[in-house]
Amino acid sequence: MDAKEGLLLRLRDILKIYIMGGQEVRALDGVDLDVNVGEFVSIMGPSGSGKSTMMNMIGCLDVPTSGSYQIDGAEVSDLDDDELASIRNRKIGFVFQGFNLIARTSALENVELPLLYGRQKDRRAAATAALVRVGLGDRLDHTSSELSGGQQQRVAIARAIVSKPRLILADEPTGNISTLQSEEIMQIFQELNDDGVTIVMVTHELDIAKHGKRCVDMRDGKIVDDQPVADRLLAKEMIEELKKPRPTSKQVVAVGA
Amino acid sequence: MGILEYFRLAIRALKSNKMRTALTMLGISIGVAVTILVVAIGEGATKSVADQVNGMGTNLLTVHQGPREMRLTAAARTAPTQSQNTLTLDDADMVMKLYPDTIAAVAPQVRGSIQIRLFGANATSSVLGTTPSYLAVNNQSVRKGRFFTSMENESNLKVCVLGSTAAENLTGNANADLTGQNISVNRDDYLVVGMLTTKGTGQGGQDPDDVVIIPVSTAMQRVLGVTGISDFSISCVSPELMTLAQQEVTSLLRQRHHLQPPFPQNDDFRVANQTDLLARSESVTKTMTTLLTAVAVISLIVGGIGIMNVMLMSVKERTREIGIRKAIGARSRDILMQFLTEASIISILGGLQGVLLGVVGALLLASFGGWNAIVSPTALVIALVVSASVGIFFGIHPAQKAASMHPIDALRYE
Repeated sequence: MDAKEGLLLRLRDILKIYIMGGQEVRALDGVDLDVNVGEFVSIMGPSGSGKSTMMNMIGCLDVPTSGSYQIDGAEVSDLDDDELASIRNRKIGFVFQGFNLIARTSALENVELPLLYGRQKDRRAAATAALVRVGLGDRLDHTSSELSGGQQQRVAIARAIVSKPRLILADEPTGNISTLQSEEIMQIFQELNDDGVTIVMVTHELDIAKHGKRCVDMRDGKIVDDQPVADRLLAKEMIEELKKPRPTSKQVVAVGA
Repeated sequence: MGILEYFRLAIRALKSNKMRTALTMLGISIGVAVTILVVAIGEGATKSVADQVNGMGTNLLTVHQGPREMRLTAAARTAPTQSQNTLTLDDADMVMKLYPDTIAAVAPQVRGSIQIRLFGANATSSVLGTTPSYLAVNNQSVRKGRFFTSMENESNLKVCVLGSTAAENLTGNANADLTGQNISVNRDDYLVVGMLTTKGTGQGGQDPDDVVIIPVSTAMQRVLGVTGISDFSISCVSPELMTLAQQEVTSLLRQRHHLQPPFPQNDDFRVANQTDLLARSESVTKTMTTLLTAVAVISLIVGGIGIMNVMLMSVKERTREIGIRKAIGARSRDILMQFLTEASIISILGGLQGVLLGVVGALLLASFGGWNAIVSPTALVIALVVSASVGIFFGIHPAQKAASMHPIDALRYE
């Protein structure tokens, strides 16, 4: 890994406790994790394992009950709400499972939003470039209801990359879309990663997790396994496989896995 | 983020639910329109009272029959002089004769309702019996022909001077010249000798131009069959002498009518001067305006609550959107401003629409309802400022609710 480029995320003994129905729930129970610049980390685990909480924590959407979390050298627990908003805006790009585009708003305007909140100029040009980057140069003025699931997710990716963040956080990015479209999304992620963008992705699908370079496994709020992906899948090859006429997509993925 | 961006975001959100936006705006615009209309009518009423009082001529006193204050005291009820027509022509003559130093002219007036006809055209009008002093005392003038003379007055001749509305009712033309023609007044022919200059708006919705003026004794004997007069107007020599004149007339009439104290409870007449009239009309107008303004304010508040309601609903509906915006870097202030701008735009646009409605309504009232309505620029500015404040005031709570949402909870909201 590109250790020489430095540490991007540093989590130490992170504890997150929720009170649910009077019961204390340890969503994260003493997590330590380092992520270096340029990594592609897949976080896996069954539901309830704490991977979503982990995601929210890394994304500065939530703060830990105790423990230390540093992003790019900044201690997150020292920051106020506006500073957290600013980190989310400049350093992190979010890709959600449900796409989470703003309804009745064009792709271009959705992608412009982070720049708007970041008070940047030349928003139109940057947003257009981001949409071209994800292959939607001809869909700039379509609203989310006029786009397929895969296309919506690509708009979401364009929105995540438009402010050129160092980190992309993806929460089940292929949750609601077809296999081919999932591979297209993974291809974009792998290309972005090749360009030096750090990616942290939560998924429960092993096939998707294998597109990353490192796989972290979680159970009951703890990291139980953390190792490099041995047989990494390349989305580009997968797509070529999928586009071959005969076999159905399910079989191909099975073969690939 | 600049105000322009908030504005664009807000416009887009409002456009995406046009019907709801329009209905919410309507609440505010009705409030603003009512406010403007009320103020316009109030100012119009005040102005027409002032115009009328000024139009009556300066130094004017008016003597009416009946007590100064209508009180149902024992004294007032048992007063034997409480009949109609307590004022007589002689009262008016004596006032003129006795106080030449303070009183310049006296015009007795007797009023009634009559039927007038001209070549089959038929109208109801009011008749005013008076003397040639009427013109000078009441600041009136003749547009065509002449007023009748003292001679014609004393000889009970059947001559008349026509007001413009009366002329219009007979001929269809307010500027018609009927001098030299005979019109029928209660089936009796009267020679038109002159046409009065149009006076315009009057008090209490009465049209001062819908009148046929004839000699006072002709009116009393031939037309109305009464022995007393309705009232008489007194023109004083100078404004400084008005108080003195009022005292003189009061004591003379008490003496002539054999009235017993206590006064003024037992007076069977009342002497009014312009200032009294003006003050009384103004206080009535003021009460009306206050009342209607209260109605307008209430409707603005109701409109504001409408805005708050819609904004709260909108915030709830758009919880997910708020979550997304926060996740990609919107600060709480950005969210607050976005929703506050939406509320303000609704109320300002509603306000503008209300100004338009109010002005059009005032013009319609003025041209068709015969009301005097004056739309003042101050009222417009105040209405707009108030409507904007209503929007901001009632928009703050929903906007704060949106701004204080936790991004994760908002994102998870279904």
